[in-house]
Amino acid sequence: MVFLVAAKEIKEIVRSGQFKWMLGIVVLLSMVATYISHVHWQEKNRQRIEAANQARELWLAQGSTNPHNAAHYGTFAFKPQFPLALIDPGVEKYTGVSIFLEAHSRNEADHVAAADQTGLSRFGDLTPDFVLLFIVPLMIIALGHQSVTKEKEQGTLKIIKTQGISNRQLIAGKWLGNYLPVAMLTTCLFVVAALFIGEFDWKFLATLWLVYLAYFAIVNSITLVVSSLTNSSGISLVTLLAIWICSCLAVPKIASSYTNEKHPYPTRQEFEAAIAEDKKKGLDGHDPWSEASKKLERETLEAYQVNKLEDLPFNFDAFRMQKGEEHEAEIYFKHNERLKEVHKEQTTVYQKLAVLSPFLPTRFMSMSLAHTDYSTHWHFADEAEKHRIKMQEILNTNFAENSRLGEWGYKADASLLSEIPEFHFEALDFNEVMSANSSNLGILTAWLLASFGLLIFASTRI
Amino acid sequence: MLHAVNLTKKYQEHLALDDLNLSIEPGDIYCLLGANGAGKSTTINLFLNFIAPTSGKAVIDKFEVTENPQATRKLIAYIPENLVLYNELSGLENLEYFVGLAGMKYHQEQLVGFLKEAGLQVEAYKKRVKAYSKGMRQKVGVAMAIAKRAKVLLLDEPTSGLDPKASNEFSELLLRLSKQNVATLMATHDLFRAKETGTNIGIMKSGKLVEQLSTEEINHSDLEKLYLNHMSN
Repeated sequence: MVFLVAAKEIKEIVRSGQFKWMLGIVVLLSMVATYISHVHWQEKNRQRIEAANQARELWLAQGSTNPHNAAHYGTFAFKPQFPLALIDPGVEKYTGVSIFLEAHSRNEADHVAAADQTGLSRFGDLTPDFVLLFIVPLMIIALGHQSVTKEKEQGTLKIIKTQGISNRQLIAGKWLGNYLPVAMLTTCLFVVAALFIGEFDWKFLATLWLVYLAYFAIVNSITLVVSSLTNSSGISLVTLLAIWICSCLAVPKIASSYTNEKHPYPTRQEFEAAIAEDKKKGLDGHDPWSEASKKLERETLEAYQVNKLEDLPFNFDAFRMQKGEEHEAEIYFKHNERLKEVHKEQTTVYQKLAVLSPFLPTRFMSMSLAHTDYSTHWHFADEAEKHRIKMQEILNTNFAENSRLGEWGYKADASLLSEIPEFHFEALDFNEVMSANSSNLGILTAWLLASFGLLIFASTRI
Repeated sequence: MLHAVNLTKKYQEHLALDDLNLSIEPGDIYCLLGANGAGKSTTINLFLNFIAPTSGKAVIDKFEVTENPQATRKLIAYIPENLVLYNELSGLENLEYFVGLAGMKYHQEQLVGFLKEAGLQVEAYKKRVKAYSKGMRQKVGVAMAIAKRAKVLLLDEPTSGLDPKASNEFSELLLRLSKQNVATLMATHDLFRAKETGTNIGIMKSGKLVEQLSTEEINHSDLEKLYLNHMSN
């Protein structure tokens, strides 16, 4: 009987002109969004690969050079373009795609797409995640807001009730009838995106698909709850639009403002000033006269049981440079850890606020599974920093072991540059992503169960 | 088959139905007459279990309606004044859907047979219902009752607004169902149709059943006089 009701709902939906227009618009938006994302994705990927190759060529083209000069010459770490960014570009536009790796400094990511755009970028981009997160719920509301109210208004509900079908079966059928067209549309969108992407991890794509299906199931249930509890299609529509505005627009913005207010990040000026202050207190590899340098000299001479720096079995200038690098790396690590703590605190607040709207856990899981969230960016920045430290160590060690004190004219063989490996970034694997999102998954599941519970309750009130 | 036992419905201070007692046996067509607000629709709604009685009971085939709603719904067919169907579906699809909700499944040919029996024109079967007249919709309602093999027919002013021909066709259908032992309770304003079609007539006023008689006992003009007499008192 549930399937009978569902089949009739689908038949009615498909035959109504309203649905044809709506479906046409949503399909068009989905396809245009997917195509545009695909074109952008390909272009960005091409640019990144080309830039990474050029950066490597430039690095190697230095030839025989002083290792510390090479360290200052620097190179770039590029964040790879992840396949599912085609569906959800997340915060990629604001985080930057490359980090310049050089001596003494941990740099922020650069080449931020948003910085290259005009003020019009404030309107946002037409991407598949925009269609999935905002437009499809509107479509569900448009389809389902009068699912029960129309039966009440027209009087068909009375005829239905006299047939012997239970309210629960009727609502279950209506739920299925409204949900299947949406689920099919979502599936088509994912299939098209998968065809565009070509190579991807099925686990991530399938989970992303399931997350969106769960989100739509929640929206569909809430739509039917409101339609069951109201007696007029107009009131039902207005109520559902108010819910959509709150959950998709107001709550995320309030959550963002609230978390920033409660756990603010330091300004760039404050952040850089704090690092500079800490740096001053410690060893500067380029300053042999500082107190910290003198202390290092004393300790090194004592450790190697020699009286002067020239007697050391390595170039003390390069050794000091490496020690300075290690000290600075610690400072950067400490201050970046503080930023990460703020990020964690903000994430915790967001997760708590996710109980207010199913949009939030869906949004976070979508970005996380697409590897376009802030956590992935932090991970990339950390990996780039590890690579920078390793790079400095190789260069400084070569300098220290192959030259004498004050021999700034020393040039290492060009092969040293090849010893510095190319930067490769591996994002978190599936289990790690799911583990990091256990809270979001739990809240989304709770929303799903609660919406079903409400639907069962509403079915007793029609 | 259909029994009202001291059936009473009160809305706060307003007594919509006052201690109604009536019995309708298989094959009977019981016509309830009365002005608007007399309690006719309230009686039907109580048998449909759309509203709960304040006291008394409505019984259909030994089942008390409030206690066995699912069992009694399997026995009844209901046709309101304006039978609203799904406009985007054809008459045949509407019939298939509604009898399906009653847990019954028929082949296309059988469904066509029910529509034919209800008197719907063949060319209308597969047309969308939005093009149907009121009479055609009522015929789909009758086809639903036939397909459901309903033992009880509850009709709330089903001929109101129908042209005389359609009204007459509808009455013929009721008589045919009556011969198949279907018990019918029909609320109507149409005295002529009540006398022509009904086996029994009940006149209601302000929630009370003030008169009960067999249609064989009275002619058209006396029925009209009796009715007007009750209405003017």
